[in-house]
Amino acid sequence: MSQVTSTVKGDRQMNTNIRKRAVMGAATFATLAVLLTGCTNSGDDAAGSDDTASSSSSADEDSEQVVKDATEASGDGCTIDKYGVDKLDLKDAVVGFSQSEPDAAAFRAAETKSIQDEAKKVGVKKLIVTNANAELPKQISDIQDMLTQGVQVLIVAPVNSDGLDPALNAARDAGVPVLTIDRKLTNESCKDYVSFLGSDFYEQGKRAADAMNKATDGKANVAILLGASGNNVTDQRNAGFVDQVKAKYPDLKIVAQQTANFARDEGQSVTEQLLQSNPDINAIYAHNDEMGLGAETAIQSAGLKPGEDVKIVSIDGTKNAVQAIADGKYNAVIESNPRFGPLAFETLDKFYGGDAIPEDVIIEDREYDSSNAADGVAGAF
Amino acid sequence: MSSATAPPTAQAGGTGGQQSGVQEPTPARRRRVDGEWVRRNGVYLALLVLVVINVIITPHFVSEGSLRLQLVQVAPVVIVALGMAMVIGTEGIDLSVGAVMALSAALMPLYLGYGTVGAIVVGVGIGAVTGLVAGVLIAKVGVQPIVATLGIMIGGRGLAIVIGGSIKSIDDPGLVALGTGSFLTIPYTVLVALAAVLVVGFLVRRTTYGRQVVAIGGNRRASLLAGLPVSRVLITVYVVSGLLAAVAGVILAARSQASDPTKIGLLMELSAITAVVIGGTPLSGGSVRILGTVAGALVMQLITSTLISHNIPDSMAQMIQAAVVILAVYVQIGRKGARS
Repeated sequence: MSQVTSTVKGDRQMNTNIRKRAVMGAATFATLAVLLTGCTNSGDDAAGSDDTASSSSSADEDSEQVVKDATEASGDGCTIDKYGVDKLDLKDAVVGFSQSEPDAAAFRAAETKSIQDEAKKVGVKKLIVTNANAELPKQISDIQDMLTQGVQVLIVAPVNSDGLDPALNAARDAGVPVLTIDRKLTNESCKDYVSFLGSDFYEQGKRAADAMNKATDGKANVAILLGASGNNVTDQRNAGFVDQVKAKYPDLKIVAQQTANFARDEGQSVTEQLLQSNPDINAIYAHNDEMGLGAETAIQSAGLKPGEDVKIVSIDGTKNAVQAIADGKYNAVIESNPRFGPLAFETLDKFYGGDAIPEDVIIEDREYDSSNAADGVAGAF
Repeated sequence: MSSATAPPTAQAGGTGGQQSGVQEPTPARRRRVDGEWVRRNGVYLALLVLVVINVIITPHFVSEGSLRLQLVQVAPVVIVALGMAMVIGTEGIDLSVGAVMALSAALMPLYLGYGTVGAIVVGVGIGAVTGLVAGVLIAKVGVQPIVATLGIMIGGRGLAIVIGGSIKSIDDPGLVALGTGSFLTIPYTVLVALAAVLVVGFLVRRTTYGRQVVAIGGNRRASLLAGLPVSRVLITVYVVSGLLAAVAGVILAARSQASDPTKIGLLMELSAITAVVIGGTPLSGGSVRILGTVAGALVMQLITSTLISHNIPDSMAQMIQAAVVILAVYVQIGRKGARS
């Protein structure tokens, strides 16, 4: 900007030239802005970004995670011999958990609590928990600190898919195995880390399409509220939905796709605009519950009945959304389960027991609709 | 300010060109006059063009519901931008507005025990407090506005998250009514914005205080030498900006019936600055354009609305918005360059 200023001051005659430069400047700026947005978002690419929610209630026993399609029998998974660390009795171990983002978000709160609860249940000697506050450098130093404090096993919710190498190398040098949860690293599994436990966001999108089909009897004009741009959760939840609709539900017409950045108020204002300019829209698919709840308010203020006139399906499984289903104002929620504790310790137990652990342990998420929402509210996070 | 009076539309091209012969080569002179006219009135022209385009291409644009929706959605931005215009008028900037919105929205639900009005007073009051802190830092301690308000932006959002925790639903009937109700078909939130426009407009145009704001922005040293109460005016300007931001926070929370300290008011500082700049208030201070600011906010609102209505992808929408902002700033820089 300042460059343009000084040029204008310097030579008034070269107006056309300046204009060209300004346009180029504008283009550069716009490109930069896009690039920057891309960068910020890529550091933020998992379940954690869509997790603002109502309350931080404790996890119920019955809502533990279940392994969906474990390929443990296949034999080419990661064994303790292949990984090359010493055997360990979890009951006598010092375990470290590096959380990525602040617990202000319900997803993170539920995730941390689940790890803590399960550590207590298993009876580990000591659990050290750190929180990187969404900063990669802090996560690296968190992990290094825990290693000097003598942790023997690490559970890590990575801040970012890339860039954790210094911490992973330090763990490797110390002979400490690393289990990652909820965000997959680009590093090599069974070398830099043991295995990844997490949701299949593409599958969540497909199931949302199935739920939408059920809620609308297969016929609707659907508007999609997208999560933050350039975020792989957004991309996969969308691709899963769109692909499934294309393959199986020809009468579900996707008439609009607009971003609302995983935020409730943006979900509300975008839905208001969409309903205003396109009154044919009678179904909303939101990439997270918050945007879906914003849509609910928007539908109401447009004088329509959410859940009836305009159906809503979203992904997350927060208490507010599940409650809204129970109240008849919402149609379905596909869960993205944050309760990694039981599955994480079970996986570690198997690892130390000599079993082969697959690279990806994909867990099954629950699903709420009018048939189970009232009973499910207590178990939602 | 009056040195460069803008001729009305019809005369701009012709007479401007004739006069120019006296001092400077014709093309440069004409361009300067045109630039000045565009700077002063471009925002209204842009608004008109956007309305016409939408009337033609956007279905259901011409309807009471559509008009009401645009006004309801733009209300918080207008309210914040008015305070921002005054701050920018003093050659300052207030980056804390978004965080102040989050802070007021986070505080308010905690004081519903004192009734709806009590909660609103607390929510709005926090804006006066943060504004006072910013104003004192800037006027008395001598911290640069961008630094002082950046500090409050970061700390304020953090405090809002600490106070508010996770997102809270708001079901107080009074607040819900404020967010969704209307008087004679005009939504309350729009009435609040209208009241803010009238009050700030009166302050800036009709009071000594308003003259002082503009004088300080135009020439701080001269204002000091002339004996103007520079510190006091600067502090009150930031208090007004904080108050208005807090009002916007209350309105937004009431409208969405939820208070999310991590998301409310996010990037609002940029929307407000954009509205002010597009509205023709120079970032260099010395002038405050109230109607221009309102029109600037409406332009951005209509652009967003048009992009959503026609399902333009987000990446494209961001570039279009960036281009509009850069064009507006460019028009301004052109004017300043011509002057110096």
